[in-house]
Amino acid sequence: MLRNPFTKWLWDSRRSLLGWALAIAGVGALYAAFWPTVNTPEMQQAMRSYPQEVLEAFNYNDLATAAGYVGSSVYGLLLPLLVAVFAIAHGTRAVAGEEDAGTLDLLLAYPVSRVRAAVQRFAAIGVELLLIGAVLWLAMLAIAGPAQLDGISAADFAAATLQMALFGACIGAVAFAVGAATGRKGLAFGVGAGVAVLAYLANGVFPQLRGLEWTRSVSPWHWNVGGEPLKNGLQVGDSLLLLGTTAVLVALGTWRFTRRDVAV
Amino acid sequence: MVIETENLSKMYGRSRGLAGLDLEVEPGEVYGFLGPNGAGKTTTIRLLLDLIRPTGGRASVLGLDPRRDGVTLRRRLGYLAGEFVVDGRQTGRELLTYLGNLRGGVPRARVDELADRLKLDPSRRIRSLSRGNRQKIGVVQAFMHDPELLVLDEPTSGLDPFLQQEFVTMVREARAAGRTVFMSSHVMSEVQQTADRVGIIRDGRLVTVERVEDLRERAVRRVEIHFDGPVPADEFAALPGVSAVTVDGPVLRCRLDGRADVLVKAAARHTVISLLSEEPDLEELFFTYYSGDGTDAA
Repeated sequence: MLRNPFTKWLWDSRRSLLGWALAIAGVGALYAAFWPTVNTPEMQQAMRSYPQEVLEAFNYNDLATAAGYVGSSVYGLLLPLLVAVFAIAHGTRAVAGEEDAGTLDLLLAYPVSRVRAAVQRFAAIGVELLLIGAVLWLAMLAIAGPAQLDGISAADFAAATLQMALFGACIGAVAFAVGAATGRKGLAFGVGAGVAVLAYLANGVFPQLRGLEWTRSVSPWHWNVGGEPLKNGLQVGDSLLLLGTTAVLVALGTWRFTRRDVAV
Repeated sequence: MVIETENLSKMYGRSRGLAGLDLEVEPGEVYGFLGPNGAGKTTTIRLLLDLIRPTGGRASVLGLDPRRDGVTLRRRLGYLAGEFVVDGRQTGRELLTYLGNLRGGVPRARVDELADRLKLDPSRRIRSLSRGNRQKIGVVQAFMHDPELLVLDEPTSGLDPFLQQEFVTMVREARAAGRTVFMSSHVMSEVQQTADRVGIIRDGRLVTVERVEDLRERAVRRVEIHFDGPVPADEFAALPGVSAVTVDGPVLRCRLDGRADVLVKAAARHTVISLLSEEPDLEELFFTYYSGDGTDAA
């Protein structure tokens, strides 16, 4: 595990990665387990009494089916939020965080090109997101029976989980790219978090305002859940948008990184 | 030349980090790169490693361009920063294995040998090590692959006297094996034991380059001569290069600037019982360059 920057990153994050995976899987399973309580006539009645705008803002657009509930409340809000926080933290650390701590110098004084250092680390973050997704997927499969999540197949869970991992990669790539381009840790984290919030608002809130409907189409949040992968299976177009945006961001950030001074 | 720079410059915004540095480090020599803090030593080293990019001039290291052939170049050198900063959650062994792998693998025996020599316990978490012990890991990683060129930035800061001595031995061994060492420092004493030449840098410019041997010859030293009887002070006070003469019965003390020849010949007119000459304080010479009138002193 100590062969190159890619494996070293995974090795160094093994403990925090385990923590994040268990936390995210736990939250997912816990909230999914509420389905039987939501799926009662009283609760359905209560939810219908909320204004449509509020429900939409919270991504609660369909609470009548298990796939609707899990897709909107769990996969549509809490989990992507947690995944985004994880991705922003790691995306920031990959270049800017280490640079700020002064530990990047040593690696770059070795026979390792900047492209290799940056890209291998981002690739490791991608693997981390996939591992978190895998743990979450297993947890959801385990809870699906007891929580009566009827009508959601293992493939649907896999699709929704994969799209969320891609969403995480995309948001993480924002923090990574800003950090790689500037070397500024605070800026990288801030822009990453800002983009995540904007993406969320552009999916559920801005489109309610006249003239801002278009924002939905450029929101990574929408690319994640807009096509309701939990109901409809993997959305190839959305996935490619997430993947493509990630690739462009990583490429731009790395390109700037190769051309600038590394801070002491 | 192992290191060659031509008018190498680095501007930080409007302030100058390096103002046209011309440096020549020959194969097989130990080159001491001396200057006060902020003179541009670390800037120079970071330019050579391609961690930062020059705003003017050019540099070549081992015949390669740091920018274009950075990876090949860095494979052939060992680098130690003054402040060896690494993630403290790993053990020394983990880090050294990783760093060795980045170089295509370094035999474990070699790492152990160096660790033993420096009395470093590589199984401990780096966080739990003292600053000096952390610096030892830095020394090991710089030397472990026996590189052609060692670039050492204030290497012995934080090392205790025993380790400083061990370090001096290691540098001498590297030199004996034909390696080149480029070592920066802000104190002469750190380099005068090992360096063949010193370059003194001030305000981003190379003020002078001297052979340490020549410096020694020129340096001021304290001399004490014991005679078999009292000697007249004025006989010595008038000698060129001799100053601060005091005579205390048969003992003469003075400061000697430059060669000892005249003083020895003058002393030889009397019966000399013993002669004591301190190792010259090169620091003093160095200060004249520091303070700004270095060009006159040269």
